[in-house]
Amino acid sequence: MALRITIDIFSGRPNPVIDLTGREARDAMERLRPIRKLERGEAGLPPTGTLGYRGMVIEQLDTPANNLPKQFRLANGDLFGARLAHRATDEAFEDFVCGSTGPIRRLDLGRNFPGLLQKEIDRYRRLRLKLPWPWPRWPVKYSCDCAPLYEPAWWNDGGQRQSNNNCYNYATNYRSDTFAQPGQAAGAMYTALTCASVKPAAVADALIDSPTANNRCPKAGHLVALVIWPGGDFHWYRKGRNGYWTHKPGGTQATNLDNSGAAIPDPRNADRGPYTSFCTFMVVMHGHIKIR
Amino acid sequence: MGTSRSGKARAEWVGSARVFSGRPDPTWAVPAHVATRLERLWESLEPWTGEVPASPALGYRGCALRDAKGREWVAYAGVVMLHVSGRHEARQDNGRAFEKLLLASAPARMIPASIIDGLDAETSTP
Repeated sequence: MALRITIDIFSGRPNPVIDLTGREARDAMERLRPIRKLERGEAGLPPTGTLGYRGMVIEQLDTPANNLPKQFRLANGDLFGARLAHRATDEAFEDFVCGSTGPIRRLDLGRNFPGLLQKEIDRYRRLRLKLPWPWPRWPVKYSCDCAPLYEPAWWNDGGQRQSNNNCYNYATNYRSDTFAQPGQAAGAMYTALTCASVKPAAVADALIDSPTANNRCPKAGHLVALVIWPGGDFHWYRKGRNGYWTHKPGGTQATNLDNSGAAIPDPRNADRGPYTSFCTFMVVMHGHIKIR
Repeated sequence: MGTSRSGKARAEWVGSARVFSGRPDPTWAVPAHVATRLERLWESLEPWTGEVPASPALGYRGCALRDAKGREWVAYAGVVMLHVSGRHEARQDNGRAFEKLLLASAPARMIPASIIDGLDAETSTP
């Protein structure tokens, strides 16, 4: 008879493995013989992998014995595997493995490892008693999965990238290094600093007018917003993956704050300085637009 | 719609207003006699050791004068900063005189009237 015990404890390093044969293996299998089925309400296993000790994986390298599957897990004296959720005859089998005369002493794991493992086994017992765990809330569901990430450091290089790309470049997430102007690439640049002139210029660049977007992310592409300083200038915001808006005022740094230093959940209500006229929401389909 | 960014970069003295987001900021050639007045004004200003005023994200953020040697003066909210060869020096611009004189050298209607009016109103308040 041969038995392999893998102590499931590490994340980066390979787990320690102990091989037992002959009388040692037969003795271990007697200790692991199921003595009773676990009752409803008794501790099970955590639904997800945890860091630190997670039990011992037992493999029967020869013909399976004692009605135990070829491979099963032992955790704090409880056995888990295919059609297996039982208490072991020797509830302290793990203590035996890492005890002063246990087989772990054959491994070169350092003098302190058996003691550390004993502590980990106790910690895992307490952890299992906390079950059932609440469902994990990770990963975070982003509000706008298709929107660009807010990466200010990439735009704010203090050099050519920052100074030659404006709010239109930033909003469309397209670096042209030309201080892009709506409509210029299509030969249909705006002729006045009004919503009525700048919006069709952006449409000529293949942005999609979405006046009814109402701050909701599109299914594809990402949402931008056009605002106007009447007779003075235009400005663009873009909605980020977290649902908040960011912008890059001209050749200055990209920022997630408005003129009052507040975050921007909706550009219609943000402090926009002289850009007092909210024009429209538009959608940028990635790869479809052309700006210069 | 024309912008004012190109064609004037080779002037001896170049003024610019930091004001727009979508359009390029306006730049203009500053006449030599105005530049001389600005240089003299700079020499007369007292050193400033306080915080340099922060500008808003959108809207007017100050104006700048650059010469052919790479010296640049940036004026905003009562402080003028001189940047030259990686060194910086700040001086107090009482009444925003430097800032207003520089902006006044821009061609008519290049700077939005609301900025000039706002500056005048701010500095005329007792």
